[in-house]
Formats: sequence, C-alpha cells, structure tokens
Amino acid sequence: MSEPVRRELTIPNETQYLAAVREGVREVVTLGRFPEKELNKLTLAVDEAVTNVMEHAYEYDLEGEMHIQVVLEANDTQFVACIRDWGKAFDPTAVPTPDLTRHVAEGRRHGLGIFLIRQIMDEVSYRSTPEGCNELRLLKRAKASERDVRGAVAVRGGRGL
Amino acid sequence: MPDFSISRETLPNDIELVKVSGFLDAHTFEQLEEALNELFSQGRYRIIVDLTNVDYISSAGAGVFIAALSETQEKGGQIVLLNPTKGVLDVFDLLGLTQIFSVVKDRQEAVAAF
Repeated sequence: MSEPVRRELTIPNETQYLAAVREGVREVVTLGRFPEKELNKLTLAVDEAVTNVMEHAYEYDLEGEMHIQVVLEANDTQFVACIRDWGKAFDPTAVPTPDLTRHVAEGRRHGLGIFLIRQIMDEVSYRSTPEGCNELRLLKRAKASERDVRGAVAVRGGRGL
Repeated sequence: MPDFSISRETLPNDIELVKVSGFLDAHTFEQLEEALNELFSQGRYRIIVDLTNVDYISSAGAGVFIAALSETQEKGGQIVLLNPTKGVLDVFDLLGLTQIFSVVKDRQEAVAAF
C-alpha cells in the first residue's frame, strides 16, 4: 500500500469553482496512483456532491460567508473525498434513488447527481455535527486487478480520512 | 479550463446544428438550456447537438438533454447527439441515457437520423 496523497480545498459557494475541485481530484488520483481508469467517474462523483451542497445546503445563495471544504485523499488502494459545509442540513443518503425512466419521461433534470454518486462510489455516508457542520464522505476502493504494481511515490502524506 | 461556448447553424430541412465546446457542468448548463429554449421559442424542434468538443459533462448538463428530449418529442421533433467523447458517453451510460437518445458518429449520419 502506498502513502496517501492528500489535498484540501476551501472554495466559495460558486459553481465556477467546480473546475478547481475536479482538478484536485485529478491530482490526488494521479499522484496517489489510484487506478486512472476511475478518474472520470471519481471526478464526476465529487463534482455532483459539491454541486448538491451549493444547491441544497446553501441554495446557490452568494450572500454571507459560505464556503465548502473538500478534502481529497488517495493511494493505490482507495480514494476518499470529504465534503464539508456549514449550511442547511441535507442528507443525500436519505434521498430515495430516483426512477430514471420516470425522470426522463417527465423531462426532469434534477436529482440525477445522487444517483450517479451511488452508482460510482462504494461507500457514501453523511453526518451532521453539533457544531453545524455537514459532512459527506465518499469512498472508492481500487479493484485488485487494476492497481498500479509499480508502487507509489508519496508526494505529501497526511492524516487518514 | 477551456472556455465554454455554443454556436448555432441552420442546416437544410429545418435542422438546427448546435455546437457545444468546453465543460458542461452546473456552472455552464444554463447557457445550453437558454440556447435550446431559444430554438424552441422559434418553433425549431429538429436539433443536432455536436458534442465533439465537450470533454466533461455532469448531471446538470445531462439534465438539459433530458428536458430537451421531452420538449422535442412532444412537438414531433428530435434531438440527436453528435460524436460525444468517451467521457460524455460514460456519463450517459451511467444514467441509462444511451438507449434513449439518438447518438451518432458523424454529421451525415446525424442529418439522416431525421
């Protein structure tokens, strides 16, 4: 198992910063030597989670001090993303999986993000702390057959998520 | 980050070609939504969306196509997706949309789909 690579980003509650989050995912997956085959899907899952915070926890409100903390960590065996906000409590794990056929038939464009996150990640958990922090944790394990056998170079270690 | 842009071209047989470039996410999807709504307001429901230069799409972007599909079908039209990249197709696959949309590789095939 290689040393984990960790990145922590704090972004304002503005969709223009989604690109920076996606770049952070690309960086930890690549440097942490998590199988690159999963890169696009992991990028998508984290993007969807952060977008949900903007939409539900902060409701796209740009007023006040609203920020989102994204902590990303990967090594060759697992990728973990923790998304923290201090807005309205919203537990995406409690949302029922949408019926996609019905969604499409009705031309509805919302609610697909949670479906994608569940499709992509192995574990999705949510907790709300007494201090008013909402934390969503996403975990993906590398398949043994896809692991990089060359071994990883640790760029920057850190506390495990 | 590549700039997001949308251009429009009218083809024979009342077909509209909409070319999209850049990342189609929660930051940019409204621009595409507005462009398609403008076509609908002009009674244009035969639409090809060229996705050759879209490297990334999230559910916000995919949602625009779901809404547009519903709108075009109600009016007897169609929306055809031209040459999506693998990354975009993967997302459509995850959402089960590849069976619902008409997805083609080249422009000739796209025009013939109507």
